Amino acid sequence: MNVTLNWLKTYIDFEFSAKELADRLTMLGIEVESIKELGTSLEGVVVGKVDSIRPHPNADKLVLCQVDIGDEDTLQIVCGAPNAREGMFAPVATIGTDLPNGISIKRAKLRGEESHGMLCSEKELGISEDAAGLMELSSDIPIGIGFTDALGLDDTIFELEITPNRPDCLSLIGVAREVRAETGNDIKLPEVNIQEDDSDICEITSVTIDAPDLCPRYAARVIRGVKIGESPDWLKQRLESVGIGAINNIVDITNFVLMEYGQPLHAFDYNKLGENRIVVRQAAEGEQITTLDEEERKLTPDMLVIADAERPVALAGIMGGNDSEITDTTCDVLLESAYFDPSSVRATAKALGLNTEASYRFERGTDPENVVPAIDRATQLIVELAGGTVCKGIIDVYPGKCELLQLQLRPERVNFILGTELDADEIRQILSRLGFGVDTLQQQDNIYQVTVPTFRRDITREIDLIEEIARVHGYDNIPTSLPKGDIPIPTTNVLDEVRRRIKHYLLGSGMMEAINYSFCHPNCFDKIRLTVDNPLRDALKLQNPLSPEMSILRTTLLPSLLENAQHNHNHQIDTIALFEISTVFLNGNEPARIAGILAGEIGGGVYGNPYHPPDFFDIKGLVEGALETCGIADWKYAKTDEPTFHPGRNAEVLLGDQRIGILGEAHPEVLENYELPYKVYLFELDLEKLAYVADFSKRFEPIPVYPSVLRDLAIVVDQDMPSDMPMGIIYSTGGDLVESVRLFDVYVGDQVQEGKKSLAYTITYHSTTETLTDKEVNDLHENVIKQLNQELGAELRM
Amino acid sequence: MKTELEAIQVAAQEALKDVKTAEGLESLRIEYFGRRGKLTDVMKGMGQLSKEERPVIGKLANEVRASLTDAFEATKNALESEHQEEQLIAESVDITLPGRKPAYGKAHPVMQTLERIESIFTQMGFQVVTGPEVETEHYNFDALNTPPDHPARDLHDTFYLTDGHLLRTHTSPVQIRTMENQKPPVRIIVPGKAYRVDYDVSHTPMFHQVEGLLVDKHVTFSELKGVLVSFARQMFGDQTLMRFRPHFFPFTEPSAEADITCTVCRGEGCRSCGHTGWIEILGAGAVDPEVFRAVNYNPEEVTGFAFGMGVERIANLQFRIPDIRTFYENDLRFLRQF
Repeated sequence: MNVTLNWLKTYIDFEFSAKELADRLTMLGIEVESIKELGTSLEGVVVGKVDSIRPHPNADKLVLCQVDIGDEDTLQIVCGAPNAREGMFAPVATIGTDLPNGISIKRAKLRGEESHGMLCSEKELGISEDAAGLMELSSDIPIGIGFTDALGLDDTIFELEITPNRPDCLSLIGVAREVRAETGNDIKLPEVNIQEDDSDICEITSVTIDAPDLCPRYAARVIRGVKIGESPDWLKQRLESVGIGAINNIVDITNFVLMEYGQPLHAFDYNKLGENRIVVRQAAEGEQITTLDEEERKLTPDMLVIADAERPVALAGIMGGNDSEITDTTCDVLLESAYFDPSSVRATAKALGLNTEASYRFERGTDPENVVPAIDRATQLIVELAGGTVCKGIIDVYPGKCELLQLQLRPERVNFILGTELDADEIRQILSRLGFGVDTLQQQDNIYQVTVPTFRRDITREIDLIEEIARVHGYDNIPTSLPKGDIPIPTTNVLDEVRRRIKHYLLGSGMMEAINYSFCHPNCFDKIRLTVDNPLRDALKLQNPLSPEMSILRTTLLPSLLENAQHNHNHQIDTIALFEISTVFLNGNEPARIAGILAGEIGGGVYGNPYHPPDFFDIKGLVEGALETCGIADWKYAKTDEPTFHPGRNAEVLLGDQRIGILGEAHPEVLENYELPYKVYLFELDLEKLAYVADFSKRFEPIPVYPSVLRDLAIVVDQDMPSDMPMGIIYSTGGDLVESVRLFDVYVGDQVQEGKKSLAYTITYHSTTETLTDKEVNDLHENVIKQLNQELGAELRM
Repeated sequence: MKTELEAIQVAAQEALKDVKTAEGLESLRIEYFGRRGKLTDVMKGMGQLSKEERPVIGKLANEVRASLTDAFEATKNALESEHQEEQLIAESVDITLPGRKPAYGKAHPVMQTLERIESIFTQMGFQVVTGPEVETEHYNFDALNTPPDHPARDLHDTFYLTDGHLLRTHTSPVQIRTMENQKPPVRIIVPGKAYRVDYDVSHTPMFHQVEGLLVDKHVTFSELKGVLVSFARQMFGDQTLMRFRPHFFPFTEPSAEADITCTVCRGEGCRSCGHTGWIEILGAGAVDPEVFRAVNYNPEEVTGFAFGMGVERIANLQFRIPDIRTFYENDLRFLRQF
């Protein structure tokens, strides 16, 4: 909401500068989001009078004006405005002025004629969007005075952020009350005097409330014989300064009072109301109304409407109807001021997608005690600015009048909650300034009985009063201390530890961490070729997604990483090594996953460490390292028929018979779907399952005291034999004396028979109890060779 | 013979001076010490000397031999170190060739920030807990004192799922879940993802939050200030000031927003802080009694405070990324910068 400094000052006296006021309000919880100085950018613009006009010799659409700005000589100004005429008063931007629209006024020649300034439109001055012609000023303004002085434009606009609990601050008087809390100065309410005529309002109209729960109060006045017209400058300018466009005097007055009191008003054309009367009721099934914005709206029975004898004429608290609105021919006005149930207004506004200044206030809660002061203020202004006479009396139907809320406040509770040492008097003073009534209830117990004013409907509990005290005392004046309570004993979290270890391991391996949205496109399952019955397809769907790309929740991290690879490839980045740790959304659970991708090129890409494409064993090695950092051993691999992967280059990682993850080369069709021109390697592990078997315990193993003996061994076996078979036989044959076996070469080619491959191992023999002799090692090694030959038909390669 | 020995010594030492290579030294060594070498020849003649002469000449011969051996050794060492020097020079590398960095990865910038926040609060005794991202209206709103028709719900544009659940709009539901399962004292922080229907340069539909909660027999607003001021100093530097402004959250009362001195202008006022010198970084407040009632805590017996901050926002105070959606593109040129 916007307020201006000058306008605010009409309700309360204060000495603050604009900046100080902004600071004070902000520290009271009314955040000033921006401060805009009005008028300062119009320095150099003065009031001028067009003395004479003659045609421009070289241009049909331009004229030459002699303009009096109070100096000895008049200025010649070239002008193209259609409404320029002799005797007219208009703003003149003199030489050297910088206008808000960026134009700098310089001495110029237009089609050969000198121009010493510019006659301005409202748009050129940044006052409104009106660019149709020169801004016409009243001829009683002294010629030559500053334009902003002449119009009282020197003002400061504050853009305020009013939190939803403070509807009382959605008005000038409301903001003034906050200033009162700060200064203690009194609020100056407008003086209202209404001259009524003899005709009794009760004889010419009536108000019936059929739904008192939804409309606890409804007041009406009738003003007859008004003349609809433009509002005076001061009113238009007030409204424009807070961003409300002027319409006509009656509507402008209701908007003015809305801003002043925060009470939305509505003016009906009295003569367009069926039987000239008002019925406040819920809409009938199938009823419709065309609102002021010329939209036809279908109503439902839970919506509250203002009706005449026959039909709805307004959506209660939201917007008036088109049929009964004030027009140029309106003569008699029925003015409405009411209090509507916030929830009802909110529900209707939401259902219709219609938010207005009125609904904004009603749904947050207005002050029912404002109903009459506001309607009287508006009535008075209508008589002043639009003429007419006021019917005698006011209709004020008030079925929902409530007792004032009384709360008990324990001053020591205030200090207990805040950590302050405020004394009871300070507390009382703060509450009084805020408009609360404070009485001592039980002197001995030091409890206050606090009466809550009707405009503070957000205050319903002792704690709300404590916040008010804190706010006005100043949060910055509350001392700062550290918690004194016991620190609870933390519990350990294995999953966190698994996550942390694997993450550090992968970072150390050169993988970059990615974070993707939890959303994805439903077609991602097709893109990674999941079978139609794959349970991963059972994803949660958003009711209100931002786009199809973000319409379901991920059940696997792989599509996101493939998209990341695609994005990077499209930007010529082809050294792709990424991982992501995140929950996925599966079967009503949110299991944690870790997934990684290697694609394009790995390596340093420098002399001596060239880029090279990754292969299956790079991704496999990463997974193995990750498992080892969690103290996991004894996992197995098995090939799978997961269609995401190359059928011959994938493996599930098994612990016992449980799959804890999968890894492999992406299927060529997957690559096609993500428009990737090179092989891509992926893995995804189930972190919960890893956490279940993770073992971070470490035990010292003695460092070998006896030397070990290394022997190399190259064997030729069938090409399709898995390399871990010979490895297993070496271990089982050598028993405890085989410390380790390392496969250091695999060879297929001319040097071996077709259909065969050569595997080369380094075996480390070692005993923990003695130094092995050459003979012992030789015998053992021979035995290994023999077993390999017997069990696998392995031939020693010479 | 004595003259002969002395001549050999002089001649050999002279000859050594001219030796330039290991080969030259070797042939010189053979010339003197070889089987037919000059010194060997002289030594061979020792047998013909008289009994009296023998020990004298013998002694002299040994001295000459020893001194020449030393001289040869010295020359050899000199040649070797000279040779090594040459070899080392020949092995010079072009020091401008690129170093071979071991591959190293980097944590995502949002995670780096989140981990920093976590470590500051864990040092103050807060335990990290997490909770589900798919939530119910109850945990996300109702239990946090935000009933269905409350205007505060407008502040959170919520993603709903077709099954009636929603994506949590903040990590605050974990407050409720924790208090339901634990007796006070509670001292937790809740890092995690949250979701709101928002997508522009300063909003992503998924973002990260850190929520904090401290509940005990007597926790004051003053302590809330202390914890957050301490956090701000550790996070943004010892000189950082923090101010608290009244604000509104349904689940705290009194509520506050906290600002720190602008990280760009240090409080002078600049474009980044809207010329106020302050930057808003988090929301906080004393736990509302209604929230305690929702989890069966007695608000007359315990008090507490809660706070919540957006990780992207805090990360970006440092990184100053003009469009925060860049965080989630995972462009490697971006990720490598942090």
